[in-house]
Amino acid sequence: MSEKPPSAKKMLNQCITQHFIDAATAKAKGEPVGWATSIFPQEFCETMGLQMVYPENFAAIIAAKHGAQAILDIAEGEGYDVDICSYAKLGLGHIKEQIAEIPLPLPDFVCCCNNICNTVLKWFENIATELNIPLLLIDVPYNHNYEPTPHSIAYIRAQFDKIISQLEEITGRSFDQNRFEEVMRTSNRVSRAWKKAIDMGRTIPAPLNGFDSFNFMALIVEARGNEQTAVVFEKLVEELEEKAAQGESCYPEGEKYRFMWDGIACWPYVGQNMRSFKDKHINIVTSTFPDAWLLMYEPGNLDELARAYTMVGNNACMEFQADRRTQSLREFNVDGMLFHINRSCKVMDFMQYEQHRQVFKRTGIPIATFDGDQADPRNFSPAQFETRLEALTEMIDQRKDAKAKRGDA
Amino acid sequence: MSEYNTILEKMQWVVNHPGQVVEDYLKERKRPVIGCVPEYCPEEIVYAAGMLPIGMWGARTTISQATSYFPAFACSLVQSDLELGLRGVYDLLSAVIIPSHCDHLKCFGQDWKVAVPQVRFIPLVHPNNRGLEAAVTYLAGEYQRIRRELEVVGRLPITEDELNNAIAVYNEHRRTMREFTAVVRDYPVTLNARVRHLVIKSGYFMDKAEHTALVRELIAALSAAPVEAWPGKKIVLTGIMAEPDEFLKLFTENGLAVVADDLAQESRQFRVDVPDGPEDALTRMARRWQNMSGCPLLIDPDKQRRFMLTELAKESGADGVVVCMMKFCEMEEFDYPFYKRTLAEAGIPLLHLELDVNSPSFESARTRIQSFAEMLG
Amino acid sequence: MITAGADIGSSSSKILILEDGEKILSAVVIPVGTGSSGPDRAFAQALDQAGLTRDKLGYIVATGYGRRHFEADRQFSEITCHARGIAWLMPEARTIIDIGGQDAKAIRIEPGGSVGSFIMNDKCAAGTGRFLDVMSRVLEVDVSELAALADESKQEAAISSTCTVFAESEVISQLAQAARREDVAAGVIRSVVRRCAGLVKRVGPEAPVVMTGGVSLNPLAVRFMQEELSIPVMAASRPQLTGALGAALLAARELSKLKAGAL
Repeated sequence: MSEKPPSAKKMLNQCITQHFIDAATAKAKGEPVGWATSIFPQEFCETMGLQMVYPENFAAIIAAKHGAQAILDIAEGEGYDVDICSYAKLGLGHIKEQIAEIPLPLPDFVCCCNNICNTVLKWFENIATELNIPLLLIDVPYNHNYEPTPHSIAYIRAQFDKIISQLEEITGRSFDQNRFEEVMRTSNRVSRAWKKAIDMGRTIPAPLNGFDSFNFMALIVEARGNEQTAVVFEKLVEELEEKAAQGESCYPEGEKYRFMWDGIACWPYVGQNMRSFKDKHINIVTSTFPDAWLLMYEPGNLDELARAYTMVGNNACMEFQADRRTQSLREFNVDGMLFHINRSCKVMDFMQYEQHRQVFKRTGIPIATFDGDQADPRNFSPAQFETRLEALTEMIDQRKDAKAKRGDA
Repeated sequence: MSEYNTILEKMQWVVNHPGQVVEDYLKERKRPVIGCVPEYCPEEIVYAAGMLPIGMWGARTTISQATSYFPAFACSLVQSDLELGLRGVYDLLSAVIIPSHCDHLKCFGQDWKVAVPQVRFIPLVHPNNRGLEAAVTYLAGEYQRIRRELEVVGRLPITEDELNNAIAVYNEHRRTMREFTAVVRDYPVTLNARVRHLVIKSGYFMDKAEHTALVRELIAALSAAPVEAWPGKKIVLTGIMAEPDEFLKLFTENGLAVVADDLAQESRQFRVDVPDGPEDALTRMARRWQNMSGCPLLIDPDKQRRFMLTELAKESGADGVVVCMMKFCEMEEFDYPFYKRTLAEAGIPLLHLELDVNSPSFESARTRIQSFAEMLG
Repeated sequence: MITAGADIGSSSSKILILEDGEKILSAVVIPVGTGSSGPDRAFAQALDQAGLTRDKLGYIVATGYGRRHFEADRQFSEITCHARGIAWLMPEARTIIDIGGQDAKAIRIEPGGSVGSFIMNDKCAAGTGRFLDVMSRVLEVDVSELAALADESKQEAAISSTCTVFAESEVISQLAQAARREDVAAGVIRSVVRRCAGLVKRVGPEAPVVMTGGVSLNPLAVRFMQEELSIPVMAASRPQLTGALGAALLAARELSKLKAGAL
């Protein structure tokens, strides 16, 4: 009798663990291991067969396991300001002293792409200087208008050439164009599966718990060009479709409120947040950033590759972001929006207030905010979080009542 | 020294009355005035268009309206600029050029679009991969786009000759300012911290050719006088900017003379000229960006700033370095641990100050500056 | 040669009168600071205790937040004065941690008491005595009893917020959920110390480390600081007076210089 196939969740955990083991093994064997920012064009490194690790993932996991404070202390002791992004401080603290529960290998080269923010430029510049290692930079100019400029795309493409030659130097191998196209095909497959999975949030009730999508996101960050990732996501889709067919919610008692979570997770308190949501039967049916990894292109087409990486959410203008949010709110039938004012993430926070005004104007969907941080445990108040959550659910209830009274229900 | 006083008065006036400067310019020249937001703007293109570029380095003001765009932890430069924009203070400007060096500025530009729609927003994104030739081509492309926008705003074409002329004017200005910062070292009593800053800052509110002429006159007037001894200690300032006057006076009060600076608002603007050569004007301007170094906004995997700063301190005979850390400026914050180390290795004392353009009180700066001066000697 | 040091803070006034740069003739602490009657009263009391009149003082140095508004011959920053004072009391000290009511400082000192380097925090309440004041109120004890309460702790409560407002909410929440006051008190002290330790690490602490300022009167704070820094930390013997002492010593130095110049 064949064994029951493992669940997507189990496969996910196996993959994540294996990823760390592979990186540690490669390092032990003297193979070059790189650190990359979360939306660096992984296609190049995957093509060269390089082991890459993602310090942002590392930071999230450490924070969720309540190990962040000690490492932040190390970075701050070095003179890094309290103001600086906690992911960056965790990475830099780890480089100074490896006290973390996860033995993340130190990099032999770093790959930086600023489509998520400009802070990573300084973070990775510092790593490169501190360890005296090559910095592989793909600088994607911010798109102030709906479309990237042609000279911006040309510039990004030229950087691809430079990256390839740097990688060839690091590995001593040649860049294999065929393998590259294969990786792009696999990446497309992964992105398609990922899109299908997160789109399951549209179902009423939504079978996927939003916090679970945050967990699965770790895999799309660190192994998007990998076939195994496609397998995991396709399994996830299968599971979700089954649940959806049964009309199953992620909560046994069903969902009461459908939320959009705007921003990065508040990792040090993710357990607490989940419990608060569970108590109130709030499901995060969609959130702003899993979308960022829906990167698809024609295999081998470098212009499309450039476009995909430059049009990532944080790198897009006010109108584009507002359109995207509005679209998601409608397609996912969202009742309320919860915005995490993430002290570490200025690039999001400094446009959010206007984003919400625009989105509220178009949809009338209530919004609440709370103060937190993606990894620093010192910037959160459980009392504030609960109060805001309650206020939001009350607003939603009021709206529903008003609607029912008007006979619009 | 009455000539000298007249020059300083003129400079003080423009710094205190930027609104009037704009009004007068519009009335006399009947050409647009373009706001240039920190840190690095291609003012030459504005100048070539026959327009006045005017600096927008924040202001001391109560932040009340900008809070609907920024939470508390945004730097005071973008907070105060947006605040003034929301209040209509910039309404006489025909456009603002807002670069995207950091996340604050990126968002500020986008917020400006919505918050101050009456003043046209001209974005600018510099390349960070500066070692590549493709970065030069890209930046020339950005400059070309800005040129086209200014041609629309000014309803006149901008010719290659005009651009070349503007470059010549600006290079001359840079040379003059470099000479000025060297001359300052000989007159630390007369050209104290506040006056030194005034001379440099006034350039943001004037036609550059006029400013060059004034500074030349100033240098000539000074050079007639005997060199001044300085009984106190000498410092180098580093950071984005060092203002306002109440803050700068603290240095003089404590016997500290500013003998050099590594400030984005000051020397970083004029350390490097636009290169000569056969290339077109905008490409040469783009190449200048490639040739610049020593600022956290100029991505550099060797972080040369720490060495440049140390060299500057030694070369200028400084007794210490004072970092005027713009509060909430991550780009600057990331550099601190590195130059802290380099300066310590060179035995050069370093004082860390937090700067907020909107600070209501300078007591904490006073205590630190005084302690530093006492520590130096 | 009789000199006086006046340390006029925002919440207290301290005057110390010194003879020949060696013998303390009197020392007074009054718990109100600049802008009040405190400075003058403290000064009068100190003179009284020493049996002197003002004209007998050869030189007066003022320091502290209110130093510019106190009539003195010269003023020095509290950094310079604390360094001088501690070096006199404990010549082997190399690092000073001064946690006052409103600010915190870490100072590296050279042998002889001159300042090598320093770092200050004067913006954020979370690493200062103010934090303890706020939390003591919530715990319904006087801040002077906080250490005794915390001493009875069996399991320190974790207070993670560095924002005083959030932390207060955390403390209330913990107490409401029946956490022991003793445990919360310990957590509160730990929180301030940790915040300060971050500051201290930036200056690169060298042993021996001496704590001064109001918070150093809390023995648990001193012990926790030692734990956080992993190097020996001790409390200054008369923490509230080190600034005034240093000021009086500097006054003696200045007076000697004047006399030498006059010869």
